[in-house]
Amino acid sequence: MDQLLTGFADALTPANLLWALVGVTIGTAVGVLPGIGPALTVALLLPITFRLEPAGALIMFAGIYYGGMYGGSTTSILLNTPGESASVATALEGNKMARSGRAAAALATAAIGSFVAGTIGTIALTVAAPLVADIAIGFGPPEYVALMAVAFVTVSALLGPSLLKGAASLVIGATLGLVGIDTLTGQSRLAFGVPSLLDGIDVVIVVVALFALGETFAHLVAGTGASRVEPLRGAAVLSRDDFRRSWPAWLRGTAIGFPIGSLPAGGADVPTFLSYGLEKRLSKHRHEFGHGAIEGVAGPESANNAAAAGVLVPLLTIGLPTSATAAVILTAFQSYGLQPGPQLFTESGDLVWALIASLYIGNVLLLVLNLPLVRVWARLLTIPAYGIYAGVLLFACLGTYAAGGTTADLMILTVLGLVGLLMRRADVPVAPAVVGLILAPLFEQQLRRALALSEGDWSVLVSTPLTVILWIVVVLALIAPGIFALYRRRRGEPAPAEREHAGDPR
Amino acid sequence: MQRWRPAVVAPWVAAAVSTVLLILTTPWSDGGDSDFLDGRQLRLMAPAAPGGGWDQTSREMQTALRDLAGRTEVYNVAGAGGTIGLSQFARYDGDPTQLMVMGLIMVGAIESNDSPVTLDSTTPLARLTTDYEVVVVPADSAVRDLNDLVGRMKQDLGAVSFAGGSAGGVEQILAGLIADAIGADPGGVNYVAHSGGGEALSTLLSGRATAGVSGVSELEGQIKAGTVRPIAVSSADRLPALPDVPTLKESGVDVELANWRGVVAPAGISAADERALEDLVVRMTQSEAWKETLQRRGWGDATLTGPEFETYLRTERQTVTDVLVKMGIA
Amino acid sequence: MTEDQERAQARASALLGLIMVVAAVVVLVDAANLRESDDALGPAAAPTLIGLLLGVLGGALVVQGVRFLRTPQGSALDPRRLRRLAAMVALLIAFALVLPILGYVVSSAALFAGAALLLGAPHPARVVAYGWTLAALAFLIFDRLIGLSLPTGPWGF
Repeated sequence: MDQLLTGFADALTPANLLWALVGVTIGTAVGVLPGIGPALTVALLLPITFRLEPAGALIMFAGIYYGGMYGGSTTSILLNTPGESASVATALEGNKMARSGRAAAALATAAIGSFVAGTIGTIALTVAAPLVADIAIGFGPPEYVALMAVAFVTVSALLGPSLLKGAASLVIGATLGLVGIDTLTGQSRLAFGVPSLLDGIDVVIVVVALFALGETFAHLVAGTGASRVEPLRGAAVLSRDDFRRSWPAWLRGTAIGFPIGSLPAGGADVPTFLSYGLEKRLSKHRHEFGHGAIEGVAGPESANNAAAAGVLVPLLTIGLPTSATAAVILTAFQSYGLQPGPQLFTESGDLVWALIASLYIGNVLLLVLNLPLVRVWARLLTIPAYGIYAGVLLFACLGTYAAGGTTADLMILTVLGLVGLLMRRADVPVAPAVVGLILAPLFEQQLRRALALSEGDWSVLVSTPLTVILWIVVVLALIAPGIFALYRRRRGEPAPAEREHAGDPR
Repeated sequence: MQRWRPAVVAPWVAAAVSTVLLILTTPWSDGGDSDFLDGRQLRLMAPAAPGGGWDQTSREMQTALRDLAGRTEVYNVAGAGGTIGLSQFARYDGDPTQLMVMGLIMVGAIESNDSPVTLDSTTPLARLTTDYEVVVVPADSAVRDLNDLVGRMKQDLGAVSFAGGSAGGVEQILAGLIADAIGADPGGVNYVAHSGGGEALSTLLSGRATAGVSGVSELEGQIKAGTVRPIAVSSADRLPALPDVPTLKESGVDVELANWRGVVAPAGISAADERALEDLVVRMTQSEAWKETLQRRGWGDATLTGPEFETYLRTERQTVTDVLVKMGIA
Repeated sequence: MTEDQERAQARASALLGLIMVVAAVVVLVDAANLRESDDALGPAAAPTLIGLLLGVLGGALVVQGVRFLRTPQGSALDPRRLRRLAAMVALLIAFALVLPILGYVVSSAALFAGAALLLGAPHPARVVAYGWTLAALAFLIFDRLIGLSLPTGPWGF
């Protein structure tokens, strides 16, 4: 605790607060833009920060990191154009809320949820990091296979009203995930000799194409470009009822996001989908899902930010960078003469605590800056659609170019945008495609790795207590809806209409 | 008066202001204090994502070149062991202001990906650094030393699993070379590829793989903390960072492998430009900033230029191709 | 939903299903051409499974869509809309091609203006000014300030 306070003392100088402000601003800017994530930004800024003292540089990075996480939610909610895979789940309900005039509430619950999750995540990082790291180390390929199975079962909530169309979308995503060099054998699949396809299709490009371009094309074909997206309605930013429904979702999102984020191959996107599935299943307002349920924004957005804190667990406790951003932060540490590894905490405690304190300050700053801006952001929706979507197109192309660096990526973007349009016209939801794109390759790789390590013995998949527990969760998740229905019927409650008119599942 | 409404004028004012800003910030001549290449700016490609070895090398070069050639621009073209960057770099034919960082991994990736563009489409300038590989086992592993590991490999090659980086990368090449040197079939090595060193380490730490292969600088912290136990390094002599760890050769496995990194220019540049660029790179390696970088990053100084570098490149290509073919991945 | 909209949706489903079936064939052929490895699950296992699923689900979409469309009298999609879409795709491809030559600001401003006009913006001149400003600001922030290197034209931006 003393060390944390020292960390705060290091971080809380006026100059450092200024750097935090700079970091948060840049972070939000890059977060809003698809394709330009915190990792790239921090890498670009590394040479500049060599001339800063360590605390100043780290606090700026922390600001960029959390700012990037937060910025992504704004575009998801307002424009239905998530900039990265971890914001897709937020877009699902968030944009529906914005379209029914509740953009301010959606933005507010995202901002507060991010803050709550970031706070708890940062505390957990200081208190429970070694414990979590111990469990995380136990995660080998068989455990990941089981975890991915849990994720696959849970995402059925994302599939929308038509099982056929949802599954079609999932498989389209999985197909896109096949493209590129097979990690385990180095052979290229579905690349057709195109160099840009060798490394696979970047998730960012798929997300931007299916959401942003698909949306733009849809307006084009429908000829609704001159309409305004949605006038603002409702006075209160977050009503009492909204708050009552949001806070449990914030906490649940955090509880899912932090541990999974701390897994070496966990990432921030898987927990957001898990959280969405959970919220939909638990909600008393299930009929609102698909039309703008506030829990569906609060949960995933908290999971996203908690996972961002979780990613730092393996980095700080075992010196294991598990995400691009963590790798870049590690590079920054190295440039200050630190050795990545399990002794980071003991050998360079001051700097690590300064980083943790910075994360916290960045978080507070984000809330303070963004909550008053919520209504300003929401006004963006009063711009006519042609202006918004021309701008979206401009930034989508910028992000795609930044992510891939080649013009071939822009061609891929265009083609996938047309696929997105077709999916929209056919009333096929696009979110499952993103899930398939992320989960299918992970599942395949980990399964093949597990089998390679066991020399083809399938029993390796249930070889540890952890795997068995996860498979039990899978089974429970499969049979739980049936049991719930039975239980409700016994108590004489009307069963919730499973096939309610979920309307437009986009 | 109607036509001067703010809604009409504002966009034009904004456009004019932003244009002025654009022009003001355009660096017309930022050649530093050198008249190198007539003060034109150098552009340096890191053919990998931010954070990796090539990216670090590029950004350290950017810093070290500041005093010698002014502001250098670094950009990333990630993917496929650098071959995506390479195929793009080949288009800068004859442009002496373009440079690209590359290394052993790219040599291997060109073979394993059947890349249509090879290093023949570049002008090799210099080898810069080396980073050696280390073979490790989990701290509580029953494997005592390299001899023990080799014994197990001879007994049942498939039962000894190696966790390491991407397929066809340095780590897999090393695993193949070790198998080859002890008379086992390199094609039968149970190598489990991962997309990065961190991911490979987590598989190793979970206790599922027999051994791990990784760059020394990547694992130094883990080794010091005792989470993994080093059993051999791939250098010719023992490394200053790990003085207690024997080399592969000491343990009776005749293999030596350096994960070197270097820099190339596009093909078709004039001989004078080639000399000037080589000279620039050599001067950079002699700068204080660069020496400090090597120290800080734990990289070995491996400066090699001109025909010697080209010969080296050829032999490396041969070695790598041979082992990759034997392993069945090229 | 009106009948027209339902017909449009069924047509799009059938088309998407058709594309999926074609893609399934491509995926399966590609999988068959992979070098087998001696692992329990080789590189072809996942593509084969996904290819089959793609074919089955695509086929189901086609059947569903076609059954609905069986009733005669079909009005094709408004050709004006298709032309607008084609123009947008052409604009995006043109953007990709001229980006390395004309630089980020000019190409992006053109992209913005073109897209806004296709979407039905009322004031062409004003749209150009907005597009230019937006592109210039993006360039100033991301290239000049953060150091992301965006393509430049002969005039330096």
